[in-house]
Amino acid sequence: MSLLHAVFATADSPSSASSSPWHFFGYFLDHRSQDLSWLWTHTWLSVVPVIVGLLIALPLGWLSRRYGWLYPPMVSITGLLYTIPSIALFVLVPPLLGLSSLDPLQVPIALTVYSVALLVRVVADGLASVPEEVNQAATAIGYGRARRLFAVELPVAVPVIAAGLRVATVSNVSMVAIAGTIGMSNLGQLFQIGKDLSTPTAYYPPIVLGIVLCVLLALVLDALIILATRLMTPWRRAVPAK
Amino acid sequence: MKHKILIAGAAATALALTLSACGSSSSDSSSGGGSGTVASKLILGGPPEFKKRADGIPGLAKHYGVSFGKYTVTDTGGPVTVNALKNGQVDAADLFTTDPSIEANHFVILTDPKANFAAQNVLPIISKAKATDGVKTTLNAISAKLDTAGLGALMVKVVTQKQDPDAVAKAWLSDQGLSTAGTAASGVKLTVGSANFPENVLLAQIYAEALKAQGAKISLKLNIGSREKYVPALKDGSVDLMPEYNGSILQYLDPNATATAPDEVFTALQKVLPKNLIVLTQSAAQDSDAIVVTKATAAKYGLTSIADLAKKQ
Amino acid sequence: MATGGAGEMIGQVFSWLTDSAHWRDTPLDTGITTQLLAHIKFSLIAVGIAGAIALPLGLFIGHTRRATFLVAGANALRSLPSVGLLVLLTVMIAPHFHGRTDVGFVIPTEIVLVLLAIPPILSNTYAGVDNVSPAVTDAARGMGMRGRQILFGVELPCSLPLIFSGIRSATLQVIATATIASFVPLGGLGRFIYDGLQQQDYPQMIGGGVLVAALALTADMLLALIQRLVVSRGISGRFSKSGGAAADAVDAAITRAEVAPV
Repeated sequence: MSLLHAVFATADSPSSASSSPWHFFGYFLDHRSQDLSWLWTHTWLSVVPVIVGLLIALPLGWLSRRYGWLYPPMVSITGLLYTIPSIALFVLVPPLLGLSSLDPLQVPIALTVYSVALLVRVVADGLASVPEEVNQAATAIGYGRARRLFAVELPVAVPVIAAGLRVATVSNVSMVAIAGTIGMSNLGQLFQIGKDLSTPTAYYPPIVLGIVLCVLLALVLDALIILATRLMTPWRRAVPAK
Repeated sequence: MKHKILIAGAAATALALTLSACGSSSSDSSSGGGSGTVASKLILGGPPEFKKRADGIPGLAKHYGVSFGKYTVTDTGGPVTVNALKNGQVDAADLFTTDPSIEANHFVILTDPKANFAAQNVLPIISKAKATDGVKTTLNAISAKLDTAGLGALMVKVVTQKQDPDAVAKAWLSDQGLSTAGTAASGVKLTVGSANFPENVLLAQIYAEALKAQGAKISLKLNIGSREKYVPALKDGSVDLMPEYNGSILQYLDPNATATAPDEVFTALQKVLPKNLIVLTQSAAQDSDAIVVTKATAAKYGLTSIADLAKKQ
Repeated sequence: MATGGAGEMIGQVFSWLTDSAHWRDTPLDTGITTQLLAHIKFSLIAVGIAGAIALPLGLFIGHTRRATFLVAGANALRSLPSVGLLVLLTVMIAPHFHGRTDVGFVIPTEIVLVLLAIPPILSNTYAGVDNVSPAVTDAARGMGMRGRQILFGVELPCSLPLIFSGIRSATLQVIATATIASFVPLGGLGRFIYDGLQQQDYPQMIGGGVLVAALALTADMLLALIQRLVVSRGISGRFSKSGGAAADAVDAAITRAEVAPV
C-alpha cells in the first residue's frame, strides 16, 4: 500500500517541481537543452561503436569463415571479452591506451570492443548462411572471389548481420547509460541526478525520463536497422514468407 | 585466463584453511584497542575513500581512538547514506554539514573538538593557464559573497525543493548583483568540473554561469566522481576549474598536513598544489565532513562529540 | 597510478589478488571471499527465477505456437537501461525497509537481473522447440505419442542445445551486470570495481574485473559440462567422427536464435 502510495502520490513539495514519476515530461521541458544534448551524445555513443565494430568485424569474420581453423579461437576470444563488466572496461581503457582519465573516447572505444566481440561471430555465421548453390552459381557466371564476396555473399548475409547489429545497438544504449554514472555526459547522468535528489523522498522525474529516452532511442535505432535491412534486401520481399 | 582462475581458486582454498586455523584473527588485527567502546558496536557508512582518507577512518583513530565495528560503503554524503542512516542499515554516517537532510531527519552532528576535519572553506581550484585577471576577478567576487548560511539556503532549494542547480545558480548570481554581462573573461575557454554530489554541482554551476556572463566559453563536466578521480583530471588538463574545500584538498595533497584553521590551511595549501594549479581567494562558506548519528543513537549512548564514541560501554 | 607499463599493472593486480588480507573480512573491508559468495548468490537467484519463468513459458509457446507475441515482448525488455531501472526500483523500494537488512537493495537488484536473464532463456527455448523439424514430431505422432509426450520426450531433448545456450548467455550477462548492484550500496564483486574507481586504486578495480570475468568463465564451463552430460549424443553430434554436420547445424541455429531478437 505504502509502495503504491509512494509511486502515485504527487508530492506536495513547495516548489513547482513535482516528484511524481508522471512528471517526467515536465522535467524534460524544464531541462530541454541539457537533456537533448545528452540524448544526442547518447545516440552517437550508441551508434558509432557499432559501425566501427562492424568495419573491424567484417574482415575478421571473413577470415574465420575463409580459414575454418580460425573460427573456434576467434569465437572463444571474443566471448571472453564479453565477460568483462562494462564499468571495468570503461575505466581500463584510459590507462591502457594512455588517454587522460576523463577522455570522452574511453566509452566509444570500450563499446567498440564489445561490438567487435559480438559481430565477428555474426559475420562469420552470416557468410556461412549463404547457400553453397548460390556461391557456385556466382562462380559459374564468372564472378571472381572478391566480386562474389561483395556482390553476392555479403548482400545475402545482410539479414543475419543486421540481426547482430540490432542486438549490439540495443545493448550499447544500455551500456552507455552505465558510463553516465561515472561522470560521462549522456542520459545516464539523469540516473545520477535522480539518485542524488532522492532525499528525503524519492524524486522520480529524471530517472523515469532517462529510462523513457533510453528505451525510445533503442526502439528508434532498432527500427532504423530493420528499415535499412528491408531496403537492402529487396529480393526477400519478392518471395512470400514460408 | 585459465591460469588466473587456478590461482584464484588456489588462493581461495589456502585462505579458507588459514581462516579456519586462525579463528578470529581478523578482529584483533584491525582495531587498536577499540573493543568494548561505543564505536565498536556501531556501523559507520560513507564513501569508499573515507576508509583511507587522512581525515577518515585513520584520522578518527588517531585523534579520538575511535574505531567502528564495521564500515559500510554507501555514497558521498548522498541519499544512499542518508537513507541508510535513517533506516538503520548504518548507525553513524559521514555527511556534509550543509546537507538539509540532517535537520530534516533530526540527525545529530557530533562535535569535532580535536579538529579531525579541518576548516573546509569553499574556494575555486583552477589551472594557472586559464586564471586570467578577468577570470580571477569574477571568481573572487563570488567567493566574497558566499557564506555558510547562504550556501545552506541554496542547498535547500536544490536538494529539498528539487530546483535545477543551474537555475538556482543563475538566481543567486542575479540576487548578488553578479550576473551583469561583461567582457572580463571573454576569449577564455574553460572546462568546469564537479564532484559527484549536489552541492559541488551547484557551486560548479555558479562559477560557470558567472564566467559565461563575462564572455568565457564554458564546457561542463559534472559528477566526475571523487577527489581521487578529478585531481588527476585537473593535473592533466581535462578539467580547468573545480569548486574545492580547502581542508580536504590540503589533506588529499599532503596527508601529514596539520593545519586546521582556515588561514593556516590556505597558506599550507599554496605549498603543496601541483605546479599547473592555483587556488583563488577562499569564501566564508564552510561545508565540512561530519560524523552524524540519529537522535535515538545519540540519546542511547549519550553522544555529543566524536570523542564520546571512544567511551567504554 | 595510471603510469607504468602494462606489465607493472599486471603485477600489481596479481599481488592484489593474491594478498591473503584482501580475501578476509575486517571491520573496515569486506573481503573477496564474502563478496564472491554474495555475487554468486545474486546471480544464482536471478538465473533461477528467470529460468523458472522463462523455461516453462518458452516450452509452452514453442509447443502450442500460441502467444508468440510474448517472445517479442520479452525481447523488448532488452532495451531497458539496467542501471536506470536499478536506480528507479531502489529509490522506490529501499526506503521501506528498516533495520540492519539489505533486502531493500537486494529486491531491486534481483528484479533488474531477472528481467535481463528472461529474454535469452525465453527466446532460445521458444526457438529450440520451434526449430524441431516437423518430420520429427510427425514421426513421434505416428508412433502414437501424444501432446505432452511429444513435448517432453521429443521436443524438449531436441531443443536442449539451444536452451542451454540461452541459459549460458543469460548467466554470462547476469554475472557481468550484477556488478552494478554496487552502484546502490550492495556487496558483490562490483564493490571492488566501484570502490577502486572512486579511490583510483587500479589494482583493486582491475582485480575486481578479473574476478568477475573468472567467475563468468567458471560458470560457463560448469554449464557446458552439465550440457555435455544432459544433451543426447544423437543431438549434439558428439559421435566419434561423422557428427560434424549435425553439430554445425546446431551451432548455426544457436547463433540465429541469439542474434535474432524477434
